Amino acid sequence: MSESLKRFLKPLGITAAGLALLGGLLVVSGIVPVRASSGHWAITRWFLSFSMARSVSTDSLDVTVPDTLDDPREILRGAGHYQTGCYPCHGNPTTPHPRVAQAMLPQPPYLPETLDQWEPEELFVIVKHGIKLAGMPAWPAEDRDDEVWAMVAFLKRYPSLSEEEYGTLVWGDAAPGQGRAALEAAGVVRAHVQTCVRCHGADGNSRGVGAFPRLAGQHEVYLAEALRAYVSGGRTSGIMEPIAAELTAEEIDALAAYFTAQTPRGLLTDPEALSPEAVARGERIARDGAPRRKVPSCVDCHGPGEAIENEAYPLLAGQPEEYLRTQLELFARGARDGSPRANLMHEVAENLSEEQMADVAAYYAAESPDGSPDTSSDE
Amino acid sequence: MTDRPGQVRPPATRLGAMAGAVGLLSAVGMIGCRGTQSALDPAGPAAAGVLSLFWWMLGGGVLIWLAVAGLALYAIVIERPQHEPTATRWWVIGGGVVAPTVILTVLLIYGLQLIPPLVRDAPPGSLTVEVDGVRWWWRVRYLTPDGPVETANEIRLPVDEPVQFLLRSDDVIHSFWIPALGGKMDMIPGRENRLALTADRAGTFRGACAEYCGASHALMNFDVQTLPRQEFDAWLAAQRAPAVEPETELGAAGARLFLQSGCGACHAVRGTAADGGVGPDLTHLGGRRTIGAGMLPNDVEALRRWIRDVDELKPDVDMPAFDHLSEEELRAIAVYLKGLK
Repeated sequence: MSESLKRFLKPLGITAAGLALLGGLLVVSGIVPVRASSGHWAITRWFLSFSMARSVSTDSLDVTVPDTLDDPREILRGAGHYQTGCYPCHGNPTTPHPRVAQAMLPQPPYLPETLDQWEPEELFVIVKHGIKLAGMPAWPAEDRDDEVWAMVAFLKRYPSLSEEEYGTLVWGDAAPGQGRAALEAAGVVRAHVQTCVRCHGADGNSRGVGAFPRLAGQHEVYLAEALRAYVSGGRTSGIMEPIAAELTAEEIDALAAYFTAQTPRGLLTDPEALSPEAVARGERIARDGAPRRKVPSCVDCHGPGEAIENEAYPLLAGQPEEYLRTQLELFARGARDGSPRANLMHEVAENLSEEQMADVAAYYAAESPDGSPDTSSDE
Repeated sequence: MTDRPGQVRPPATRLGAMAGAVGLLSAVGMIGCRGTQSALDPAGPAAAGVLSLFWWMLGGGVLIWLAVAGLALYAIVIERPQHEPTATRWWVIGGGVVAPTVILTVLLIYGLQLIPPLVRDAPPGSLTVEVDGVRWWWRVRYLTPDGPVETANEIRLPVDEPVQFLLRSDDVIHSFWIPALGGKMDMIPGRENRLALTADRAGTFRGACAEYCGASHALMNFDVQTLPRQEFDAWLAAQRAPAVEPETELGAAGARLFLQSGCGACHAVRGTAADGGVGPDLTHLGGRRTIGAGMLPNDVEALRRWIRDVDELKPDVDMPAFDHLSEEELRAIAVYLKGLK
């Protein structure tokens, strides 16, 4: 090293050490404010939002956007969660700026005004991972990208929604009905009743669309165990976990009993959208299994057509195709635990091919849910 | 053995002592060679042929080893110019080229002539048994003129009759081996290999998978019993019959739980709603010697453990553990299964 360079480096080192010491003293002295009330300097605000935009952009480079963002069912799933999880900070068309959130720093934006600056893959990154030091939480279920994409589907649609359209998407049939009264009488607090029926319907038929699993007529033990699994985190869902976490044990039992007593009605999946070949293949697997892949039959545990059914196993006939397929994929990935019996499904789902999962889902989606004996059955 | 100066014993004495020790150790070791899973205790002509080849090879090997070791010792102790170069050259050519060629040729011919009877099919009309290697158990089907009879992890055979095995696999390569009855035969996915075996005495034996097939390869065994023809016929007729009804109330509760828990999706119990074809047929499970493909004795306690902890007992097994069932429920199912004679 040359003498001149040494002469240059020495004062540089002393200056750096001095600055570090000063910075340390500044922090220790506590005179730097962390008050949200004091706001940011304009340059700080610019710097923070610029670096956030850069980070999100880079983070989204390897994200592949699925082709389901325009699917009305996805938009509906996202809308259902928006009112639960996002509204308290980001508002909705009725209350664009919730009062408490207005006092946050940074202030959560009213999304219809800002969403156009983000690409879907960037929204995915923000919704899935949250934003550090901004109060934006990560998605509660790390392995549920399907839910995050439903949220993105809704957000894409959100800016163009009128207040009325938003209301229809989120609240569905908002009229107070007998079902709600019955649930409240059974001890479920009104807000929780509201949260359940918004998506699953007061009659448990999940608004007649394929966005949410049907609860009407489902086995009571299974429903209660599913809710408890959401509470324990064994079954992961950014949508259901926060909702279930607020329920008391009595509310869980009351909800399970109520929805079990409802009458399942109609198909939730448009039969036109299901390929008859897939349904036929799915029926073969459901009835006989896929022995070469060591997959047992589905009907022995999940119906339809078998005489003895276990209250802890769910009935699958008439559940939405997408829901069934997603659950099988989650089981196969080992991302779905749940009740103490969840392990029974892991081996089964692992041995199914993706096509077989879709076939089985199509078969059950096309089956009538009302429990009437299936005439094509030879059991 | 360390060589200390002044204490070196004459070579011949040491050799004799070593031979004695080896002989004694072998004799002790041979006691362990009797038993249900031993190729040294044959119960059929194929195994006997293989065993005679083994003895000839072993005997020949020992003789050759003694000769070579003796010559080596001799070469060490002799003085260098003691032999004519021409004579030593003949030793090299004779011992190094001619003798091995002759010995190996004789052995090859002897070995090859053993093979045709081993691979020859049983005569038409012989009892035919299809065995399917599955990770990690054996699906066994007796193909009779009155239709197939399925069981698992247990093979019973009539004595003094050639039996034709058809060996298959649906997943990976397994190898079917009953050491007391004959040689190994691979089970290859997409192929049907054939093996004919004859038992010449009644007895209880054990077979094993002899080709590494995954985590629980070592836990993939089966029971073999050879019986006089009459007893075999009675057994096969009993196997063909549907399952017996549970005799006790606990057994009946177990039967209900068995169906309710979905066991019938994988297992068949003929005569009931359980019609699964993925796992072993359990119609007459209670009469088998062992459970879990030769893993555990067949009793209520082992069955209960198996149902509850199968994933711990048999690594990577496809059957899920039913550890969510209560001890009473597990016991009821175990009693039901044990009652399936």
